[in-house]
Amino acid sequence: MNINFSGVSKIFEPDIAALIDININIEQGEFVYVIGQTGSGKSTLLRLITRELLPSRGSISVGDFNLRKMRKSDVPYYRRDVGLVAQDFKLIPSLTVYENIAFVMETMSVPKKLVEERAKEVINQVGLWRKRFMKPNQLSGGEQQRTAIARALANSPSLFIADEPTGNLDFHTAADVMKILFSINAAGVTVVMSTHNQNIVNSTRKRVIELDNGKLIRDEMGGLY
Amino acid sequence: MTTLKYVLRDMFRLLIHHWVLGLLTLITAGVMLWILGITTLFSLNLENLLLRLESELTVQAYLVRDNTLNIEEIAEKIQKLEYVYTMKIYSPSDSLAKLQEKMGSHSKALDMLGENPIPYNFEIHVHKAEEVEKLVEELRAMPEVDDIVYAGMVVRRISALSRISSRVALIMFILSVIITALVVYNTIHISLYSRREEIGIMYLVGATKSYIASPFVLEGTLLAFFGALIAVGGIIGTYFPGIILLQTNLPVLNSSLITDKNTIFRFCALLAGFGATLGWVCSYLVVSRFINSITRPE
Repeated sequence: MNINFSGVSKIFEPDIAALIDININIEQGEFVYVIGQTGSGKSTLLRLITRELLPSRGSISVGDFNLRKMRKSDVPYYRRDVGLVAQDFKLIPSLTVYENIAFVMETMSVPKKLVEERAKEVINQVGLWRKRFMKPNQLSGGEQQRTAIARALANSPSLFIADEPTGNLDFHTAADVMKILFSINAAGVTVVMSTHNQNIVNSTRKRVIELDNGKLIRDEMGGLY
Repeated sequence: MTTLKYVLRDMFRLLIHHWVLGLLTLITAGVMLWILGITTLFSLNLENLLLRLESELTVQAYLVRDNTLNIEEIAEKIQKLEYVYTMKIYSPSDSLAKLQEKMGSHSKALDMLGENPIPYNFEIHVHKAEEVEKLVEELRAMPEVDDIVYAGMVVRRISALSRISSRVALIMFILSVIITALVVYNTIHISLYSRREEIGIMYLVGATKSYIASPFVLEGTLLAFFGALIAVGGIIGTYFPGIILLQTNLPVLNSSLITDKNTIFRFCALLAGFGATLGWVCSYLVVSRFINSITRPE
């Protein structure tokens, strides 16, 4: 799934410019880091891609979808093709690891047997099968993040959005999470990830998009932090 | 089918999670719908009684004693009056015979009168009690009419009672509907509020609004429906014993009371359907409003 930002600005009321005139193009299968200081507009950029926010100016297209002109009723179908992982995990506290992952497929009316098979597959992929009956509050930060990744993978998305997925994790756990993200990318899925982690960015040398006060100040292939 | 299974499972989760609130909603809805049902039945019975009384109300118009009067012409004139429903002509001899029959063994007293004092007269029925006064006014305007006899006070009281009973029934109906609707609305709103984060996540990972809304709407519909079933149980448990009590103590009311079981069961089915519809409408409104507010992009 390719992503195109054309002259995108996002102004929050009354007049806080979170993003100013952003033009970027991300091709299918790319791995892109979005970096910048706190408040630079990283999360706003990712939330525009997931259509939690709408641009104040400009247009955003993701795959065949024009996010600005998209009908409300099409939003859920678009989001099913976008895996989302957030720093705060966004897991449902009352559900177990298995249920958190299964319910994404249930919303698409996937038959129970297929839900079980796919849930088992993605839980194994993130190495949490033994903890499938635990609830989020019984898991470590890393395990919660892996659960969130498994949930994002459940629908086999074409685009993976990760908003500081290693933000709350120690070095080793963060490295585990990154391994999973690279394996997802290796399968042809576009990954856009915001991060503050210099080590990760510098050691992997992927495309780097840097924001500063809402402006795009760098877009570099194989860049450093 | 798969979606229905998931929706039903989520709905039962909601009911279990908020069982105290659900129980309170069920009881309140039950009591309010019982009040609504009983008030409606009371009103229908009263309406029946009033209709019977109204159908028995007559206006007796006596003509002036004049042998030159053309009775058929006058009858035609009266028949054309706006509020006349049915009319019967009594000749002086018919009237006397009727009076004698009514007086039974005392009818010999009438012989003392010598000549028959009763003129030609008309017994007129109207549709509604409130029309009697208007008809009397029209009759008074006719020079051929000498005297009019009717139960004026009874007419006024029946009309007033009929108006009051309709208004009370309407007020009770509106109040019961509003309270039931508010209780269901509130319960579903609390359910939604307690799961607002979950709803946001569900929408974010691709659940449609209708999928998210269905368990909540179903929960509201079921609570109101089961509340209505409680009301139906209450109605069956109180209405029939009440009717038996009235029939025993006030036999005069017998022909005016609704005693047919099929009618009452049909009424109860209607009440249960009404409860479910009310629950559906309230939950649908609150759920759509809530979900739209938390899923709207900034």
